[in-house]
Amino acid sequence: MPGWPALAGRPVVCHRQRVRQNPAPVGTLIVPLWRALAVFRFTALGYVLVLYARNAADYAHPLVAVPVLLGMIAWTVAATWAYARPHLRRWPLLAADLFVALVPLLVSPWIIGRPALADGVPTIAVAWLAGPVLAWAVAGGRRLGVTAALVLTAADLAVRDRLNESSVTPGVLMLLAGIAVGHVARLIGAAEDRLQRAVELEAATRELAAATRERERLARDIHDSVLQVLAMVARRGADLDGEAGELARLAGEQEAALRALVTSRVTVPPDKPAPPAAAGLTAAGSALAAGPTALAAPPAAFDAGPVDLRSVVNGYASSRVSVATPADPVLLPGRLAAELGAALGAAVDNAVRHGGPQARVWVLVEEEPDTVTVSIRDDGCGIRPGRLAQAAAQGRLGVSQSIEGRVAEIGGTVRIVSEPGAGTEIELRVPSPDTTAEEYG
Amino acid sequence: MTAGAAVDAGEPIRVMVVDDHPMWREGVARDLAEAGHEVVATTGEGRQAVRICAAARPQVVVLDLQLPDISGVEVIRGMLAEQPGVRVLMLSASGEQQSVLDAIKAGATGYLLKSAGPGEFLDAVRRTATGEAVFTPGLAGLVLGEYRRLAATARPAGDEPRLTDRETEVLRLVAKGLSYKQIAGRLGLSHRTVQNHVQNTLGKLQLHNRVELTRYAIEQGLDD
Repeated sequence: MPGWPALAGRPVVCHRQRVRQNPAPVGTLIVPLWRALAVFRFTALGYVLVLYARNAADYAHPLVAVPVLLGMIAWTVAATWAYARPHLRRWPLLAADLFVALVPLLVSPWIIGRPALADGVPTIAVAWLAGPVLAWAVAGGRRLGVTAALVLTAADLAVRDRLNESSVTPGVLMLLAGIAVGHVARLIGAAEDRLQRAVELEAATRELAAATRERERLARDIHDSVLQVLAMVARRGADLDGEAGELARLAGEQEAALRALVTSRVTVPPDKPAPPAAAGLTAAGSALAAGPTALAAPPAAFDAGPVDLRSVVNGYASSRVSVATPADPVLLPGRLAAELGAALGAAVDNAVRHGGPQARVWVLVEEEPDTVTVSIRDDGCGIRPGRLAQAAAQGRLGVSQSIEGRVAEIGGTVRIVSEPGAGTEIELRVPSPDTTAEEYG
Repeated sequence: MTAGAAVDAGEPIRVMVVDDHPMWREGVARDLAEAGHEVVATTGEGRQAVRICAAARPQVVVLDLQLPDISGVEVIRGMLAEQPGVRVLMLSASGEQQSVLDAIKAGATGYLLKSAGPGEFLDAVRRTATGEAVFTPGLAGLVLGEYRRLAATARPAGDEPRLTDRETEVLRLVAKGLSYKQIAGRLGLSHRTVQNHVQNTLGKLQLHNRVELTRYAIEQGLDD
């Protein structure tokens, strides 16, 4: 079932525990069938007694029938009691049931008289015979039902000296009952299995949904409390000098990091693809991502599937780095997003490290029909003309290797504009392939 | 722009503060009062904000997008229906990008992160009151993205709003953190022209949104 990727990897232990905790509905659907069988047994017994009362006068030895009938009444009660207990519905009971049913059959010639039986008069068991057939069918399906029906039909025919249509009829009916009830019992068994699976699935889904809700609640809480306070501290302290000012700056830093974490991981509208769990790891903190949150993200996010570039870029947001993106996901194949993210990271690092302590950085992500552009601008001290070539010549490959190398590898271009004193602007442009395609290049 | 035209620098502005966080509400209100502005109402609930707005008649509403009862978009629509001249400046602690964009399309004209300093905030309130659009680089990125999305999903009718090349250029520079002054210098335009370009990008988007809403209402037979 492709729709339940997260369930495939769930440990088996969980299932066992769940089954133990909520008694599964095993055997509950088949119960009405056993009850119907009990009703049938008593009805058939009533018919046996009525038939005896009406025909006793014509029997060869009517009195001999009395203990047999008492035995049938006793067995009907005993069988009903026993079949009501699931753990007793096994071979001993089934065999005994069949064996007991043979008794009234086999004594019928003596009680009723052979000539009468040969004329097609029913045995004293009549429809009561069908009890074990139905029991076998319910317990074991069509095959057992047919087996019991054949045994009893054979016995029924054996007690008759001569066969005609009416003596065959009960056998045919028993066979039919055995097949039909056996089939129904099998269907119920299959339905029960499915119900069981559905119940387990639903429980697992509920657990997942609960985890998601809990995470969203946490995100809201963080938003409503921690973020507000941190932003407030940053705001109030912005005008202060010394340690208080430093504290305010740190608060602002944390606010931005936490905001990036909360927004990149949780507040995704349900109709949009979830941002990949892996992408959120870049800067904001791996602890949260590795926790229960990882469960909700489809495993596809961990391989080369499309990645929302925004969640990669948002990882770099801080009090010094401002990030601007579209409101909709910018989907790129995983490898492309990773390379672009790494190039972006190098550019941001470079800007923060060399731009001077007050330098601020702005990152802009733009998506056009066939290209994705990431611009990184800082207002630092800029790069002297020829400085990059000089650094590369000295074997310091920082910018050219990490940025230009990576971007060239994924088929993109880099444009660097810098003036001493006026900051640096780096523009990374990569062709965006159809995100439904497997992997780029 | 009629309401804003009367506002000069230094003149007190009537402001309403809507934020469900008491600490923020008070902090913001105090900053405004200290700067000489008149805080005509504060509330932490959206529905109440819409009700109060008609009576308090603020010039600027400082609005947090995440309210406990109704969405920021609903608050903005409600307030603009009651009082079309009111200007809405959004403040938000987190980058709730879609809601910020929706609020802008619903008629808000300014957006500021809560981490902005008091000076920046007071400046934004003043500019909002004069009818100027207050953009963060983040908002410029969202608006750029929205125009590109509209262009990519264009229908044959072709009535989607489009940015001129100049507007695109200006918005990109705003998104890259340049001030209007820096943009004016780089493009050889006047400060006022840059401001107008930014303003137009919002105006077209809001107009398009109103047309879309009307079209939707007619299609759904809700028009009365």
